[in-house]
Amino acid sequence: MPSVVPALEWLEALAWTTAIRESTWGYPLVETAHVASIVAFAGLVIMMDLRLVGLAFTDAPPMQIQRRLFPWQMAGLALSTATGLLLCCVDPLRYYGNVFFRVKLVLLALAGVNAAAFHLTTYRRAERWEDDPQITATARLAAGVSLVLWSAIIVSGRFIAFNWFD
Amino acid sequence: MMKTKIIVVLLAAGALWSVRSAQAHHPFAAEYDVNKPLTLTGTLARMEWVNPHGWIYMDVKQPDGTVRQWTVETSAPGQMSRRGLKKNDFVDGMPLVIKGYQSRKDPTLANGRTLVLADGRSFYIGAVGGPNDGADR
Repeated sequence: MPSVVPALEWLEALAWTTAIRESTWGYPLVETAHVASIVAFAGLVIMMDLRLVGLAFTDAPPMQIQRRLFPWQMAGLALSTATGLLLCCVDPLRYYGNVFFRVKLVLLALAGVNAAAFHLTTYRRAERWEDDPQITATARLAAGVSLVLWSAIIVSGRFIAFNWFD
Repeated sequence: MMKTKIIVVLLAAGALWSVRSAQAHHPFAAEYDVNKPLTLTGTLARMEWVNPHGWIYMDVKQPDGTVRQWTVETSAPGQMSRRGLKKNDFVDGMPLVIKGYQSRKDPTLANGRTLVLADGRSFYIGAVGGPNDGADR
């Protein structure tokens, strides 16, 4: 299998990635925007998950809550993904060799599969949530998995800064 | 749920297994030994003026005449700029003196605290979390 390292070295040597990597304000601003958008996204996802698990807003139908939160969740996801990709471009070799970064990518993929599975199956039958215990149980499981995964993603993301295995 | 857990553990183990070496960035005490202060006198091989921490590579002549290259971790470009240090203050081959602390495990890695240039100017280059040794004043 050809190594991705030469491509990452090329990316690292580009003028604009070098400029951000060596900047006084650019890098801290991108990093801060990344964290702020994760806070917005994860906070809204956690509130939805807590509703599905049955711990928050139980007096309102899940559909009503999800319909309101969804656009804001997507806005947070878009900004955190964009800033995250930018950070990867700025210092690709550092992230490539970082174990917590790899763990985070795997967890992100799992969270993506979990969310997609939920939205394509259980969520489609959401009108019947109120009176179908089977659907309620499936939604609760998806929400529980989501809570665990997003928490782990935030922890592994923070730990990228502390490379224990170099 | 159980299946998901197993997959997570397997994938995480795979990621751990395949990890390669990379530059470090960490709290002071985890990497550096406050009981191993040192002063390095040598010439600049290369400076990486990068976030989140910079890196100074310097050649230090040993008592036996051989040259050993040290890696010195600095604070971020923004922090060094605020102290008046600039990227182009670093010219490959220039003489420099660095006071800092040695790594716990890597014999040629140090945490830089004070940088002294050939013209006598002295700068604090330590990152947040270092020992309270007065280097930042």
